[in-house]
Amino acid sequence: MSAKSSDRMGLAQSLVAYGSKQGASEVEVSIQEGLESRVSVLDQNIDKLTESVFKGLSLRVFVDGKAASASSSDFTLETLERLVDNAVARARLAGQDPFGGLPEAEPVQAKAEDLQIFDPALIEVTVEKRIAIAKAIEAVGIKDPRVKKSMGANCNSFNWDVTLANSKGFAGSYRRSLINCGGGFQGGEGTNLFEDYWGDSSTQLSDLKAPESIGKIALERMTRLLGGRMVETQNVPVVFDPQMGAWLLGFLARCLTGISVARRQSFLADKLGTKVGNERVNIVDDGLLVGGRGTVPFDGEGVPCRRIGLIEQGVLKSYLLDTYWGKKLQQRSTGNSDGPNNLYWAAGTSSPEDIIKSVDKGLYLTRYLGLGQEATTGDISVGAFGLWIEKGALAFPVSEITISANLGTLLQNVEMVGNDLELRDSVSAPTLKFAEITVGGKSG
Amino acid sequence: MKPIERRKFLQLAGAGAGAVVLSSLFYDQLFAGMILKPGEELFASRFGVTKEAMKKVLESALSKGGDFADLFFEYALNNNVVMEDDIIRESSEDITLGVGIRVLNGKQTGYAYTSDLSLEAMQRTALTAAAIASSGVKVRAAAIKPVQPGRQVYLMTSPFADAPLGDRITLVKEAYAAAKGHDPRITKVVANLGDSLQCVTIVNSEGLMVSDARPQVRLVTSATAEESGKRVSGRGNAGGRVGMTFYRTAGTTPKEIGERAAKEAIILLSATDPAPGEMPVVLGRFNSGVMVHEAVGHPLEADGNWQKTSIMWDKLGQMVADPSVTIYDDATIPHYRGSLNVDDEGTPTGKVMLIENGRLVSYLHDRLSARILKTAPNGHGRRQRFSNTPIPRMNNTVLAPGAASSEDIIKSVKKGFYAESYGGGMVENTGKFTFSVNLGYAIEDGKLTQPVKNATLIGTNVQILKEVEMIGNDLAFFLGTCGKDGQSASVTAGTPTFKIRQMTVGGRS
Repeated sequence: MSAKSSDRMGLAQSLVAYGSKQGASEVEVSIQEGLESRVSVLDQNIDKLTESVFKGLSLRVFVDGKAASASSSDFTLETLERLVDNAVARARLAGQDPFGGLPEAEPVQAKAEDLQIFDPALIEVTVEKRIAIAKAIEAVGIKDPRVKKSMGANCNSFNWDVTLANSKGFAGSYRRSLINCGGGFQGGEGTNLFEDYWGDSSTQLSDLKAPESIGKIALERMTRLLGGRMVETQNVPVVFDPQMGAWLLGFLARCLTGISVARRQSFLADKLGTKVGNERVNIVDDGLLVGGRGTVPFDGEGVPCRRIGLIEQGVLKSYLLDTYWGKKLQQRSTGNSDGPNNLYWAAGTSSPEDIIKSVDKGLYLTRYLGLGQEATTGDISVGAFGLWIEKGALAFPVSEITISANLGTLLQNVEMVGNDLELRDSVSAPTLKFAEITVGGKSG
Repeated sequence: MKPIERRKFLQLAGAGAGAVVLSSLFYDQLFAGMILKPGEELFASRFGVTKEAMKKVLESALSKGGDFADLFFEYALNNNVVMEDDIIRESSEDITLGVGIRVLNGKQTGYAYTSDLSLEAMQRTALTAAAIASSGVKVRAAAIKPVQPGRQVYLMTSPFADAPLGDRITLVKEAYAAAKGHDPRITKVVANLGDSLQCVTIVNSEGLMVSDARPQVRLVTSATAEESGKRVSGRGNAGGRVGMTFYRTAGTTPKEIGERAAKEAIILLSATDPAPGEMPVVLGRFNSGVMVHEAVGHPLEADGNWQKTSIMWDKLGQMVADPSVTIYDDATIPHYRGSLNVDDEGTPTGKVMLIENGRLVSYLHDRLSARILKTAPNGHGRRQRFSNTPIPRMNNTVLAPGAASSEDIIKSVKKGFYAESYGGGMVENTGKFTFSVNLGYAIEDGKLTQPVKNATLIGTNVQILKEVEMIGNDLAFFLGTCGKDGQSASVTAGTPTFKIRQMTVGGRS
């Protein structure tokens, strides 16, 4: 593979040189190439097998501060050179943009081989092994009488190389791998059906959770919703399970991203250095987390990734920035041209049990349905499922309710942070308790 | 990265979605004449893939015992122009090239793809896909017989492919200026023109060979308004499988698109959160197709029905909606964003009745679901690109109009909620769905009063469909991008104004 890796770097650098020759003042070329292998099973039969090499090349040029970009899955030199020619010509028709341009080359300190983002075992993992994992996840639910239908299970592995070169002298590459698997089940009576899913992912084969434990979690998540009903509209404390905490954090990431902030399409615009939450809000993006699902030595522009405290004790310390939007905000890139890398809400000290115990009447939120997140205002409004809490204990499942809140307000009203943070995804959170959220349901 | 998640969603007017055109500047001499003659010659003349080579690849695909194989050749060009902060900020050009090779073995699918169109690489890829089958009777690939699509639903006059980049920049600038100049409270505008031309050739082991060249364009404008610390965003967009003349037609000019975004943002400045609870809901024309898409369309896609995961799998032939409700999907509406001459398996498209006077009469099928449910495919097998397997998808989904006027519908509500525009919707297999209302109004004593933002409507399809009470006569459509199994598809959905007797409205109290 090393020969192919040098071929890719050779191609990237030759296109950089070609673009410069054609009149671009700056050129950047990146190449991704790898293998995807997917298996899905349904009712213990193989449903679909996919195996292929995927590849893509993308490039950006600047001509006197004017930008154009292109991409292709056709790697013939004729096509690629034509794309460069077109990009140079198109850039001349763009506006002069004082914020355009590539970052100055910075040495990348992190060594890809130290980050545990590639596992050779994931190239070797056989189709049979992946089928066995998917079947084992599904088998847990199929055996359970409460499951009316399996939603299927799958196991996919990916191995790929990233190569980046630019006219500022940056040249870097690394290999990544990822395996993921999961499954889901449906249950319920008549037309009052429920479903839920669980999965796991890892950069290392040996680190993947046992399929039986994944199937068990998917089963528990579904069965605890069975018989769910509406409650009356009311304002109550809401406990987000870690899955829902990660969903909330994903929305926060969008509001922290340079493009949203600079466009003033985020409620966090102009808030740098101010208190945007209470002291329980501690948000970190760690691009160098060893073995992290989102870990890479450098981002899509060649800027080294790093660990960034985004919100510390409620104070907004940094946005997630690439070079362009960073410049617009008069900041340097944080190495986040591809968004957050390993984003997490730092763990607190409360056990999830103690958090639930602290609620006299409220909602334990385990599942959402909907797209209602508006970054400009921070408003959230989605369908919700979960368990009703009464006198500190989970009492009964609730369904077809809505939750409405504002992220800015929520951050000021964090009451408890769980000690159950697990970094199993590129966005992770512990159990979180918020003071008061409107739960919409039956008219009172 | 969640490995499995079966919720499907629809995004409306997403900025940056889709892409753009070949202008004369982008024009590839090798493509000259291609648009008017989009036949199989493209892959033969441009990439040297002859019919004989295709036959050989199909034979490799069936060499291990599969009972059906098909090849999906794709060459697509996308372009995009973005204007913000008063300048043309960037343009992009993207090329997608490859072939997807599928082998069916009973209910099972083997899939592989490659961007290398040499015979050797395609045969190797075919053997990978063939691995799904390891025994059984060998099926032989039939002789390839090219056919033409039976219809032309795209507007091929004044194609964007012939438009110089300057003309496209003009459109973007007009939309931008209209939004920015609408009101001094508009502080930020982003205008984006995206268009594409997707050329496909589909060949299968039954001897079918059909080619299609599909234009697509969308102009999207988003506008942010600010006033005394309050900041809100509105959107406007228009497009379809059309040419340049579309944007010079009243109702879809860049100026109107830009103004629509700005107007929505200005109204939202005075919007408040809704009072949550159950109440009568009137769904406005244009955008409320999102409800038909989520509540009816997705649950009737046949994959979830042969798998028996959709709540609708055992309801064919039954009354599932109020008798006033008729819903169909029509991929042949001329020039619409969701329209196609043939689907991505080469099946001719048509108008497919789904719910007729309240009765469920059909699902949306691809080949595999039709084979398993022992019916004929009906032209709804779609895929995002060559690297994706086809799955049943919607195109243009429609709630047929009734007789009521929108005024009478609103007048019939004493206290309720009116939904005008949406961020999108989501549904799961259980039939439970939500959609997010970007802008709505309170209804009081039969009149629209206070503008409302940040509302969510939630329900279960089999219940809501029986709660449809009045259907208007003013059918209109929105443009959307639908997500399912990690694949996006361009769609529209249309509804007249209609009323749901009782529905849960989420909001803050």
